[in-house]
Amino acid sequence: MMHFPSRRTVLGAASAVTLLALTACGNVAGGSTDSAKYPNGPINLTVGQAPGGSTDLIARAISEGASETLGAPVPVVNKPGANGALASKEVAGKPADGQNLILLNASLITITPLAVTADEAVNIDDFDVIAGLSQDDYVLVASDKSGFKTITDVTGAGRNITFGTTGVGTGSQLAQTVLFKQADVKGTDVPFDSGKPALTAVLGNQVELATVQLGEAMPQIKAGKVAPLLVFSEERNSFLPDTPTAKESGYDVPVAQYRAVAAPKGTPQDVQDKLLAAFRETFKSDAYKSFNEQNLLTPKEISGEEVVTQWKDYAAKYKALVEKYSISLNGTK
Amino acid sequence: MDFLNPVINGFAVVLEPTNLLYCLIGVVIGMLIGVLPGLGPAATIAILLPLTYNVEPVTAIIMLAGIFYGAQYGGTITSVLLKLPGEASSVVTVFDGYQMARQGKAGTALGLASIGSFVGGTAAIIGLTFLAPIVASFALDFGPAEYSALALLGILLVATISSGSKTKALIAAALGLLLATVGRDIFTGESRFTFGSLELADGIDFVPIAMGVFGLGEILYNLEERHRAAKAPSKVTNVWPSRQDLKQASGSIGRGSVLGFFLGILPGGGATIASMASYAMEKKRAKQPERFGKGAPEGVAGPETANNAAATSSFIPLLTLGIPANATMALMFGALLIQGVTPGPQLVEENPELFWGVVNSMYIGNILLLIMSLPLVGLFVKILRVRAAILAPVTALITLLGAYTINNSMFDVTLVVVFGVIGYLMKKFGFEPGPLVLAFVLGSLLESSLRRSLLVFGGDPAGFFSRPISATLLIVFVLVAVLPGIRALLARRKASDSGAPAPEYIKEKENV
Repeated sequence: MMHFPSRRTVLGAASAVTLLALTACGNVAGGSTDSAKYPNGPINLTVGQAPGGSTDLIARAISEGASETLGAPVPVVNKPGANGALASKEVAGKPADGQNLILLNASLITITPLAVTADEAVNIDDFDVIAGLSQDDYVLVASDKSGFKTITDVTGAGRNITFGTTGVGTGSQLAQTVLFKQADVKGTDVPFDSGKPALTAVLGNQVELATVQLGEAMPQIKAGKVAPLLVFSEERNSFLPDTPTAKESGYDVPVAQYRAVAAPKGTPQDVQDKLLAAFRETFKSDAYKSFNEQNLLTPKEISGEEVVTQWKDYAAKYKALVEKYSISLNGTK
Repeated sequence: MDFLNPVINGFAVVLEPTNLLYCLIGVVIGMLIGVLPGLGPAATIAILLPLTYNVEPVTAIIMLAGIFYGAQYGGTITSVLLKLPGEASSVVTVFDGYQMARQGKAGTALGLASIGSFVGGTAAIIGLTFLAPIVASFALDFGPAEYSALALLGILLVATISSGSKTKALIAAALGLLLATVGRDIFTGESRFTFGSLELADGIDFVPIAMGVFGLGEILYNLEERHRAAKAPSKVTNVWPSRQDLKQASGSIGRGSVLGFFLGILPGGGATIASMASYAMEKKRAKQPERFGKGAPEGVAGPETANNAAATSSFIPLLTLGIPANATMALMFGALLIQGVTPGPQLVEENPELFWGVVNSMYIGNILLLIMSLPLVGLFVKILRVRAAILAPVTALITLLGAYTINNSMFDVTLVVVFGVIGYLMKKFGFEPGPLVLAFVLGSLLESSLRRSLLVFGGDPAGFFSRPISATLLIVFVLVAVLPGIRALLARRKASDSGAPAPEYIKEKENV
């Protein structure tokens, strides 16, 4: 069977939990701005999603690698709420000393603002982005009973088609509503709470299509329970090489979930450099590489500046698409 | 008999010393937190999640599962002795269990509950063993329409099972429904009742509400009660029920096993709904329903059997489909994902030692619980004899700490305090918190499923009747709704020509 935990790992976990509790309760201001001494105690990596989801798993994978290089524990703190806006706003308000990091989802910056009020939207300029991490692709899947095997089956169906999304203001919703408009197909948008229930609805043919993240859909695709019609990434996904992209099929709707690590704005450059070096070290490790592969994540280990430019470009593109096709992501058509 | 091979291999997995030890730890923690009010299995599992990162997946799930079904056992003890349900799923046990204790039959009530729990749990495990591999196709037919019908039925049951005033139960349920609307509308992204607070954007979490009204509210209420009512629990003697009690309860144990098993499988169902449905069923079936609430053994045996059966069978949708049926299963789901195991249709084939290891650990766990609960009742009662002045602040602290740990959020702690005060005031003025919490859970399910189904049906409500399962559920709903009327009518007729036989239609309902 698999490994048994050594006493040391158990103790390590227990002490990490204790440290986490202590830092969470105590005053986290840290006081010292002497960045030569960085890191000064544990570095909290906040995740705006619940434990167990893909964002959380990514955070845990990089925290494990980075804590080794940095020589300080990097506990993952889950603070779910408002798609991650809650955690983002909290971390943005913390001292910019590098002791508090956040794992950002691109959709929170690029897509969610299209569906929520301005004061709920998160601005990437409130952060110093340290490093881009990976790309998690969206795949459009069709239920068995729908009979759809390719995207042309959908566009040629000549009837109203129901499609499940993973919620209002998500990449899943944006990708499908834009696709349907561009293909001039009539569809009903049925929002679910997350990827799992949307996929389950496709399995039970309660909706004919849904767009979910590849990691969620893959077991069902492999089992032949749902048919992958297309991926929304700019290039084909290496884990699903036979499925065409939306671009190849003639639709201009590049949507994927990107993730990056960021610190509050104004973090000293040498602290940022130290963090970046630690993350680069993690990216090189076999453990992290196989983690990405296992979770069907495509590495996108770009610099912080590139992340900001790309995410802003996507945000502008989505805004233009939504306006062009007069799509309202919040269903009040 | 090839299909039995993995089952047998599963036993080999459980009997590994590490797994046995974690199973024992799990059920003991489960019983303890079940005994202590305010801290439920969901919160405990959430708190203990970080500790499972470094053990094997199967070991972690064995322990967490042990906490879950162990709590169903333990929750009964406080329900019976202190009128203080340790778990939401033991709320209905209070009605008759506490009355039995007041009549000096506390031991009998606990004995019946233990035996019922064991039978229910074991029946569900046997069902799980045979049903799990084939259940996938059936459960997938549960779409938005079916969830809507199920939620409607659930809310109706909430109204019919309440012990006190029906009007007050309905008011509490209405408050629950109202609370369920708080947060971002998942269909339009519009914020409802959030008052601009991002903390409320996702709505109010179920856990702080449950912790507040059940946990903190109870603690506060009990502190006030201390001087007036002698809170020292009744002496527990003779936990082996008499032959007559057993005979009286055996029917309800059988029915509870079946009902609990099926309600546990259904997504959105679970131990709490199963115990309430079983109570309602026993009350409706009884020849003298007026005995209920005054110490009827069936009112303890039925729900306690059903909640254990449901606790076990709720693993079926999780392990076979990757669909968590309730909040606790959602936590199990998270635990598995953290371990790198994705529950789903492939789990049984790809990870047979995990699937059967966990399933078979429940046999072992149930035996451990039966061994512990009957003779050790006295010991658990001693825990409860710890003075309220010590126990109350400790429990309150654990509750608040637990509330904080789940989302690392002080806001959740504030919510627990607010709902603790609400729960306290409700108790003080004779409102049961049960309907509030259940209506809250079912309210959001009902709203989202209903709106989702109408989207799928193109706005045509007749669509609900075009699907066999939702149509059946809605017919049951109508039956349950008009039943009290029919009963009253029959009772009046019975009064005029005495000795009419038990009505037939209830038996039909059971087959649904």
